[in-house]
Amino acid sequence: MTSTLPVSPLTDALTLHRRVLRLMGNRFEISVVTANDGAWAEARIDAAVAEISRVERLLTTFDEASETNRINARAGIGPVPVSPEVYALVERSLRLSALTQGAFDITYGGIDKRLWNFDKQLTALPDPQTARQLVRLINYRNVRLDPADSSVFLTETGMRIGFGGIGKGYAAERAKAIMQQQGVANGVVNAAGDLTAWGHQPNGQPWTIGIADPTPATSHTATQAFSHLCISNLAVATSGNYEKFVVIGGKRYAHTIDPRTGYPISGLKSVTILAPNAELADALATPVMVMGTRVGLHLINQLPHVGCVIVDEHDRLFTSKNMKLT
Amino acid sequence: MKKFTLTVALLLAGLVGRAQTQPAAETGYEARQLKIEEINFVSNYYHQEGNNSAVTGGIGTEKLTNYANSFDLVLSKIDRFNRVHTLSIDANIDYYTSASSDNIDPLTISSASKSDIHFYPSVTWRVADPRTRISRSLGYSYSREYDYQSHGFTAQVSKTSADNNREVSVRGSAFFDTWKAILPSELRPANYGSGAHNDRAGVDYKPRNSFNMALSLSQVVNKRLQLLVVLEPSLQQGLLSTPFHRVYFTDGSERIERLPGTRLKLPIGLRANYFYGDRVIIRSFYRFYVDDWGMQAHTANLEVPVKLTPFLSISPFYRFHTQTAVSFFRPYGGHDPNLLYHTSDYDIGNISTQFIGTGIRMAPPGGVLGIRAWNALELRYGHYTRSTGMVANSLTLLVKVK
Repeated sequence: MTSTLPVSPLTDALTLHRRVLRLMGNRFEISVVTANDGAWAEARIDAAVAEISRVERLLTTFDEASETNRINARAGIGPVPVSPEVYALVERSLRLSALTQGAFDITYGGIDKRLWNFDKQLTALPDPQTARQLVRLINYRNVRLDPADSSVFLTETGMRIGFGGIGKGYAAERAKAIMQQQGVANGVVNAAGDLTAWGHQPNGQPWTIGIADPTPATSHTATQAFSHLCISNLAVATSGNYEKFVVIGGKRYAHTIDPRTGYPISGLKSVTILAPNAELADALATPVMVMGTRVGLHLINQLPHVGCVIVDEHDRLFTSKNMKLT
Repeated sequence: MKKFTLTVALLLAGLVGRAQTQPAAETGYEARQLKIEEINFVSNYYHQEGNNSAVTGGIGTEKLTNYANSFDLVLSKIDRFNRVHTLSIDANIDYYTSASSDNIDPLTISSASKSDIHFYPSVTWRVADPRTRISRSLGYSYSREYDYQSHGFTAQVSKTSADNNREVSVRGSAFFDTWKAILPSELRPANYGSGAHNDRAGVDYKPRNSFNMALSLSQVVNKRLQLLVVLEPSLQQGLLSTPFHRVYFTDGSERIERLPGTRLKLPIGLRANYFYGDRVIIRSFYRFYVDDWGMQAHTANLEVPVKLTPFLSISPFYRFHTQTAVSFFRPYGGHDPNLLYHTSDYDIGNISTQFIGTGIRMAPPGGVLGIRAWNALELRYGHYTRSTGMVANSLTLLVKVK
């Protein structure tokens, strides 16, 4: 009988303060590690919530007065001056579109949803012509930016932009920044799976996450983690929902539509992106899903400090070159 | 008599292969080389200097060197019944030298045992079901030294209470060993080799099997105190004597050691761990032992690991052991030639021992001596005394490589 020294907490009396609430139409979870000062932690979380709410008001498409909707309302009519913050976000989005050959595109909001109503039972795919017609308004090249008056102009009538593919990551990054400014050394902002973590857990260990098991949940089991990653000082975003898909002609299609073809994408179950920045991780997850394993990994492998884990429809695991399996 | 042992254990993590199958689905997108400015655009997400407002992402200004260049992914498999399967593979190699086993044959200057490499791989498959809180495991281990080899099989079932504070476990194990019966040189029959590398002709191989049970109950009493009670009955059969041990009788004759072919042992152990704050752990252990050869023993052990810094800890320890001799034991020249069994091995004689020492463990975050793969270094020194006058010092170096 031998005994070894276990890994035991290194820090004194750190506790985790966590708040779960609904923001931007999603479940947000904000966690702060402090040395037993609950009131201080709650005030820092309040500041984070206020910041996320501010970003939400800026970007939402549910409020006619939001900057996003003011841009959309004048599509095909004329440029709309916006705040430097929204202008910069649109500018970064367009550069991400170029980086991903249009697989990421904020003009995705212009899709005609009549055909792809995933809530109803789909039995057949549309013909390619019809499908392309539905996505004709999606083209990031038709967004004109004018730095002179910080304006955004959607050149085609009916075009719409939306920040669904980048907004949660941006909000998480903003919330983290506010809390770091206020002295939170260890915490996590989890925006419905798009999360950013810094510092360490109360027990001194790095933050870790599991990647969901791709096999469907059975009657008595929930979806579980099948692998683990250390994510301290990293952001993680996952695209792919194991429950949301349709099967047509024996092939499984996700609820994500390729903005180039108008077809829902097939082949991959999930894409997880790791990057030092939550906005970047969020914005890259869906395009890799759209581009497929080969092209997607080729892209990620060229990006500094960005990692990627892909699970395909046959439950095979693919990773970028910088992922070490242990 | 002095003895000095140096042990180096190398722990190798089991390796999992990377999926290398060709991805199937093709899309309308092409694998193209990115331009420098596109890569810089991504890098700009991490640099936030001066009035570079490309990213308003706040003050996340950790230097680029703080960002990981690679990420570690730990794999486990969950089956359709939601059970977690893990497979662990260990390969341990010890290198040791020993003085006493060189005296089996005083005529040879260097015998087989002078230095040995000890290789012992093991495989364990564990299935944990979170619903029933029962975990089962099966293991196989192999061990080989110059004079014996061993195949070990272990099966274990344990169940944890709903609050995770209590665990009951039953373990059964069987070890099938083969010993090389090396005889003292003057007692070897004709054509009986010494057992050394080029002198194995005629040497006998004898089986020694052990069947062990372990019933244990562990209980977390509170945040600081943990208790463990363990009952470990075991049965040994086969060659239980060591044939190169000499025995001297009252009539002046000399024979090899002879002991019964079975031995039933019953140890009962009690372990208590007390966590004093985050930095100090008091580990205590007491064991009572009785067997059917007439031995009774008491062992007490105390170890107090102290974490001096997050990366440096020391663990002083003290162990006291006392036992009565088996009924076949007599010292040198004290054996009655009319009795069937006889031994002069003080390991099963009337002795008490003390072992005192300390370990020091270093696990700096950047690796030992700045070598990232070298996780931890542990050095243990121990001073051992026996009531028979034997004194030993041991120094163990444990190196953990990731």
